[in-house]
Amino acid sequence: MELLEIKDLSKKYENKYALKNINLKLSSGKIIGLLGKNGAGKSTLIKLINDLLTPTDGEILIKGNKVGVESKKIISYLPERTYLNKQMRVNEVLNYFEDFYDDFDIQKAKRLLKDLDLDDNQKLSKMSKGMQEKVQLVLVMSRNADLYILDEPLGGVDPATRDYILDTILSNFNENASVIISTHLISDIERILDEVVFIDKGEIALQSDTDELREKENASIDEIFRRMFKC
Amino acid sequence: MLIKLLKYDLKYMIRNMCVFYILSVFFAITTRLLSLPEQTVMIKILSRISSGCMIAMIADIIINVMMRSWVRFRDSIYKDESYLTHTLPVTKNDLYNSKFIQTLIFFFVGFVFVILSLFIAYYTPHTWLIIKEYIKAITTGFNMSMLFFITITFLIIFLELFNAIQCGFLGIILGYKMSNGKTGLSVLFGFVFYLISQTLVLSLVFVYGLFDNSVMELFKSGTINIDVNAFRVLAIVSSILYLIIIFGMSIICKKVLNKGVDIE
Amino acid sequence: MELTFENNIPIYIQLLDYLKIYLISGVFKPGEKLPSVREFATTFKVNPNTMQKALSELENKNLIYTERTNGKYVTNNKELIEKLKDEYAVTLAKSYFQGMKRIGLGKAESIKYLEGIDE
Repeated sequence: MELLEIKDLSKKYENKYALKNINLKLSSGKIIGLLGKNGAGKSTLIKLINDLLTPTDGEILIKGNKVGVESKKIISYLPERTYLNKQMRVNEVLNYFEDFYDDFDIQKAKRLLKDLDLDDNQKLSKMSKGMQEKVQLVLVMSRNADLYILDEPLGGVDPATRDYILDTILSNFNENASVIISTHLISDIERILDEVVFIDKGEIALQSDTDELREKENASIDEIFRRMFKC
Repeated sequence: MLIKLLKYDLKYMIRNMCVFYILSVFFAITTRLLSLPEQTVMIKILSRISSGCMIAMIADIIINVMMRSWVRFRDSIYKDESYLTHTLPVTKNDLYNSKFIQTLIFFFVGFVFVILSLFIAYYTPHTWLIIKEYIKAITTGFNMSMLFFITITFLIIFLELFNAIQCGFLGIILGYKMSNGKTGLSVLFGFVFYLISQTLVLSLVFVYGLFDNSVMELFKSGTINIDVNAFRVLAIVSSILYLIIIFGMSIICKKVLNKGVDIE
Repeated sequence: MELTFENNIPIYIQLLDYLKIYLISGVFKPGEKLPSVREFATTFKVNPNTMQKALSELENKNLIYTERTNGKYVTNNKELIEKLKDEYAVTLAKSYFQGMKRIGLGKAESIKYLEGIDE
């Protein structure tokens, strides 16, 4: 069974299609780059998979289940905004995740927080946005999920943090899970990708194995992308 | 999962409400301490301020439960926090029920603190006796037990407030369904639903009146001189109607939520 | 062992190159046990799947072998490593001469240049 299968998926706002007839199959054990320009439909697709948007048409299956309680148990999602209640302390948030997600590894989360020099006892409202984003990354990566979906995890972070994020993704990655990373910063991330999906104007333009594509085009993914979608 | 959701919803409310509970009890105690038999001008003024503050806190307890419930509902279902809410492995029904029960519980807690504060501030055997006599006068007039009278009075106040909360929830849900991110429409919808629910109760009581002359008299005469039977019927009928409307609205809320959301 | 990668060449080919050099230069000696795919991937900071692909290529060339339960080992066949070294040296030499040819220098002249360089 496919990990993620999307059939004829469309999302329409008023009269404009944000996504049109998306068909996509993703299997386990891969790091997949969802690449596209700003506004190409990356976030729309991700939000549809995570039940934050309702499809106009089509179907999304996660291990054969429609989007719902079962799919949420096995998807670990990092949105591009801070979503935690700012009144909570980091400790409380850890307990919150442990309460709701059976696959949450609280010891691992504490270890990762320590690596990042983040204080368990601090209130989120007292933390900078960057720190809050790190806490969220730790929460998401501390789940033993089947599918990790990271929406623009590298947007606006410094190079050191970027390396830390990529390392965290790599060291947590295992053959039973897949990771979808959406980004428009392709060159930063392309070396860790197994597979790329190009999305443009709400449609899938290309899906390919990363190294095969490099071999075929004799160029970096970043360059191939630029060639395809010249402004 | 409902229990877990409720745990965090209640924690949130306690965190935001406890200051009002503490302050209202605090001012109740100071009001009490300042109500000396022999008062200087200074103490008289302080006593007035203190009792004024207590009344303000009591009003805050009730108003804040409503406002907090609405804001919390909107934030966790449609604002940034919704990114977490909707990705938790829980059903939409549980999400809704948790908010519903949380509000219910905090209305009760609010009532308890209101009564507690009033009791601390003003209780004397003498005032208690006066209140008792007063209620007794009413209840014997209406030919009902004191317990029934107190229960039904509180029930109606409670349902009335809860109906307003429920209208707010439905307003928020439909407001966001129709125009993403515009709170104005939610407020308008909530207000309209409130008017509709009130009109509905009134007109249904009127319909009931077609079969019951004593109730019909209310509409005809327009005096406050309520008939014994009419009061009893009115209280029971309107309570039941409120209950039906509240549950009806919550079913609509869940239906709409289950169709899916569109978070900006 | 932090490696740098060019984005325009398949990562597994670059990995393969690095691994070959490790074998030739004796970082991993004949018969020696290799780190696991995971360990390799973590130290090189690459995707484990890509690492696996590079190692499979090495295995296809019989430069390494897998013992069913114990992991991967460098081949005991020293001749094979010598041959690899030879091939690699030839490739490097060829590319040197190609480069010199592009600027109009013949083989003999190119060798002179080589001799003139202190190591």
